[in-house]
Amino acid sequence: MIIPIRCFTCGRLVADRWEEFNRRIRQGEDPATVLDSMGLKRYCCRRMLLSHVDIIDDILQFAERT
Amino acid sequence: MKVTVLEQTDNTLQMRVEEVRPGLINAIRRIMLAETPTMAIEEVVILENQSPLFDEIIAHRLGLVPLKTNYDQYVVSSDCTCEGVGCHLCQAGFTMEVEAPEDGFIATTGDLKPQDPEVVPVSDKIPIAKLAKGQRIVIEAYARLGIGQDHAKWQPVSTMAYKMIPHVKVDTNKCDGCKECVEVCFRQVFEMQKDKAVVVDEKNCTLCNLCVETCDVQAIAVSHDENNFIVTIESTGALPPMTIFEKGLDVFRKKYEELITLLPGRVPKVTPKKPRAKKKALPKKPKKKKEPKAPASKTKTKTASKSKTKKKK
Repeated sequence: MIIPIRCFTCGRLVADRWEEFNRRIRQGEDPATVLDSMGLKRYCCRRMLLSHVDIIDDILQFAERT
Repeated sequence: MKVTVLEQTDNTLQMRVEEVRPGLINAIRRIMLAETPTMAIEEVVILENQSPLFDEIIAHRLGLVPLKTNYDQYVVSSDCTCEGVGCHLCQAGFTMEVEAPEDGFIATTGDLKPQDPEVVPVSDKIPIAKLAKGQRIVIEAYARLGIGQDHAKWQPVSTMAYKMIPHVKVDTNKCDGCKECVEVCFRQVFEMQKDKAVVVDEKNCTLCNLCVETCDVQAIAVSHDENNFIVTIESTGALPPMTIFEKGLDVFRKKYEELITLLPGRVPKVTPKKPRAKKKALPKKPKKKKEPKAPASKTKTKTASKSKTKKKK
């Protein structure tokens, strides 16, 4: 739905990295190097960003318009 | 206990802790994880929420946001004069009022207006909810001091890990330069220099013994110290790692002193709660080994003060 605030396993803050991660991936950068440069060393935190699908954008299209 | 800082950044701290028994260092680790207080949002009043997220999800997300903690100003609400109702001594308020100017607007922690400028989210970029044009969120939130034992949002560290200090030795007379240890080691401990394997990063070793198993000529020996550790602390940003360590020792000392007051009566009339019994076993061990007759509270104060002198360096 929307990026979780913290890593499920260790509790590290990950949500503030999502926007930058998503942008850089879309520009064609290698996810591994992006994660390394953001200092996400453990694989528990890395999978939080790697495996996330932001479905909230799809749901927003059904928002009630006034 | 001897503490040497190896590496320190804003949120991480790596240090060498020497002459400690594993039981004691583990007790400190557990206290840092579960019993060192931090601030986190505990109560959320949702006045308006037109976002696609449920009220509960928004409240949960706000709760998980790490907040900068100031120990001098706040007390745990159950110990407060207001008896847990919530007053300026035990809670810090926030307000948030956003209306999305366009589709896909992200309400972040930057929109959260703190009443106390000292208690703020560690980052302004944490998304709380995404909104479509014209959707509104109006929220009041209250942060309180709490401990990780009650909820993970109050945990000040994301990792507090320790390992015994590794020792890797290569017998250069035996080494035949087959390079296998360099290839098999996934922590890059070895390097080839003049056709011989040389240990270049001993600290990085995880004691997996893969190199020992692969070496056909038995030239590698891996051992570790039982009572010396490399401790790594990674803070969530709520507190500097050194403060977490000090506060953890502080909590430990208080528990220890409480335990001592229970001892003279020998048979406590009320059976202590389960967690208290557990703590009894842990701190006792190091005391016995070091100075069996010394009063325990003394040993504890030493530990705490030593770590403090370290910080000044």
